[in-house]
Amino acid sequence: MFIAFYHVPFNKRKYMTNIENQIFSSYQRNPDLYDEIYDKNGKIKEVYQKLFNLYGEHSIIDYVSLNNKAKSSFFNQGITFQVYGDNNVQEKIFPFDLFPRIIAPVEWDIIERGSIQRSKALNLFLWDIYHDKKILKDKVVPIDLITSSANYLDQMNGVNPPGGIYNHISGTDVIKHNDGKYYVLEDNIRCPSGVSYVICNRTALKKALFGVFNHYQTHTVTNYAENLLELLESAKPKGVDIPNVVVITPGMYNSAFYEHSYLAKTMGVELVEGRDLFVENDFVYMKTIKGPERVDVIYRRIDDQFIDPLEFNPDSVLGVPGLFAAYKKGNVTLANAPGTGVADDKAVYTYMPQIIKYYLDEEPILNNVHTYHCSRPDELKYVLEHIHELVIKPVDEAGGYGISIGNKLTKAEIEKVKAEVKASPRKYVAQPIMSLSVHPTYIDDTESFEQRHVDLRTFTVLGKDKEFVLKGGLTRVALKRGNLIVNSSQGGGSKDTWVLKK
Amino acid sequence: MPREFEITYNAENIYDDWVHDAHWQFLIIPVENESQYEVEFEFENSLYAHTEESINGYGFKTLRIHPKKKFKKITFEAKFKFKKEEVDPYNFNINPDISTAYNELQSLDFKITHERYLRFTSYTTLDSAQQQLFKFNTSISIFDNLEALNHWIFEYIKFTTGVTEVGTLLKDVISKKKGVCQDFAHLFSALARINGVPTRYVSGYLDQESGYMGDSQMHAWTEAFVPEIGWKGFDPTNNILANTNHIKVCHGKDYNDCSPLKGIIHSHGKHKTAHSVTVESHQ
Repeated sequence: MFIAFYHVPFNKRKYMTNIENQIFSSYQRNPDLYDEIYDKNGKIKEVYQKLFNLYGEHSIIDYVSLNNKAKSSFFNQGITFQVYGDNNVQEKIFPFDLFPRIIAPVEWDIIERGSIQRSKALNLFLWDIYHDKKILKDKVVPIDLITSSANYLDQMNGVNPPGGIYNHISGTDVIKHNDGKYYVLEDNIRCPSGVSYVICNRTALKKALFGVFNHYQTHTVTNYAENLLELLESAKPKGVDIPNVVVITPGMYNSAFYEHSYLAKTMGVELVEGRDLFVENDFVYMKTIKGPERVDVIYRRIDDQFIDPLEFNPDSVLGVPGLFAAYKKGNVTLANAPGTGVADDKAVYTYMPQIIKYYLDEEPILNNVHTYHCSRPDELKYVLEHIHELVIKPVDEAGGYGISIGNKLTKAEIEKVKAEVKASPRKYVAQPIMSLSVHPTYIDDTESFEQRHVDLRTFTVLGKDKEFVLKGGLTRVALKRGNLIVNSSQGGGSKDTWVLKK
Repeated sequence: MPREFEITYNAENIYDDWVHDAHWQFLIIPVENESQYEVEFEFENSLYAHTEESINGYGFKTLRIHPKKKFKKITFEAKFKFKKEEVDPYNFNINPDISTAYNELQSLDFKITHERYLRFTSYTTLDSAQQQLFKFNTSISIFDNLEALNHWIFEYIKFTTGVTEVGTLLKDVISKKKGVCQDFAHLFSALARINGVPTRYVSGYLDQESGYMGDSQMHAWTEAFVPEIGWKGFDPTNNILANTNHIKVCHGKDYNDCSPLKGIIHSHGKHKTAHSVTVESHQ
């Protein structure tokens, strides 16, 4: 059902011009933006040259027909997500285009080392704030940052998670600014999602364009599940020989349900909901047709507050009564560990350079965006006076919800944001508006390639003695012209991301 | 000579409709500490469901029941026996140089160590006017201030049942000036924390032989951390310090951490719940 380019029944010679490539003939470059494939002088960057030549031999019509076929394959496989806040909730496919993003080995090396560095530092930070709290006593991080965070769990004080690992899985959101440097926008260490799209994008691209993919030596992304499973198994409770691993999902109405089922399937483990598990004498069991089966490691895609109604939110029907007591006793491992969310609070993000320095005695490999804390009176004053040139973010929301971008607001909206920030300053931080790099992206409406802002979410798996970063990651595209928010829940799309071997 | 205590805890839940799935977690076992020991218990329910012992997120022993059959009514009975030493709450000395203790309250290490019990929760939050209700007098010791606070709350709030309920917040307690032991304990916790003293809400039983106030259910009081002395129990409901008659079960930031009974019940329709407690002691 998929047609490689060389099977497309068009006479490619007919469409070739000697100067411009067909497919990019109407591509407009804004010189103020950092373009991932063109340099400042309008020359194609080296890593893209081969791709450009291969694609360039074809017309936009060829591209459209292939792209549509790839999209329908996403629908047929049920690779969908849901957007909240809409009145009519609907399943959507994650918009995808066949023009990949390519990352050269030297660039990837920075991203990979930087992602590992941050994951390790965050893990040490979590251990510290749930044990001796030295970083607070040494006044590197202010105490109220932790204690006023809704994600700090008192119940985790003094708990030693197996292998000392809290953030087994981290999603680091990296962008390239127009200064050509990499910056981290967010560390997601609660239940970061998106990795299934990385693998599905690759599968779709390879099916459609094997003839092109084949010309590059690209790292595989399909080894994620095996690395994740190996990590989860290594985090097994004491005394367990071969651990029984499961993935727990809030259920089919969750926006990331496809991913939960995908990961369970590719790891070859059971996908369960809370009602499929029960706790007896502080051990966790799964109900099966052959009777109860003990569960040792749970990759949980349910937020802390919902994992156990007896310990946390009593109204939760998603969790398992007694699960936390079983965890605390060391009879089951939860990944990520409960209480991990305190470290992906956006206010903690702002201290990442200091956190890295404090625990690892290293300089941050990836830059942090300068952040203003609205909880500090002088910074609040600056923020209120400069809202038009800042991004205002709530500290504890994920998925791009509640973000205001100053230069896109009307006067009335600015006043509204000001009032909200003034009312609860601790809830907000502000950052300069970063100019995310742009990448040629196929736009349905105009049937042509246009510049769109992109970011990259990397996936890091952290174990006691090993770490793994998926060599690829999810390039997210803001599909609305000029839009800077790339989250899928905010109408973003994605691209396959090629990390080259050489 | 230690005293021997016997406590009986009864609970009864009646539902209009059949309940097919239910979990209960009881936080009612007297904690073992330096004055309470050799705790023994029996726990029974009318459905003969298996009882599991466990430990909650804050380290206190719990009992859990998960009946395997449907029901409309379930009753629970717990009997505890244990020994308790005579407690003299005034068995300590106050450093005549009171400033060192006040200085300690201000130190960062102290604030970090006791952070959990200095935090304001929904049950222990006061608005700025209410925060002024009781100001410490720094010319007397922290302990003396806490005792004065204990007395002040005893005078300020009139012990009245049926006016407040488990979810009542301090703003309502203060406007009504009426409440039960839970409300007294929350108000003590909040006003001590405002003055920099860590406090923990305590859930337990009270031997009412000597005519103390409380109802015939569980009791609540507050422990405050006094630098150079340690945790001391204050019972503002009765204007006394916690003594031999106060049998501690657990402590936490507020009632939420100490709720004696948590139930996850999947059922429709109305239900009725009743609890009763009797405490007996003999030498």
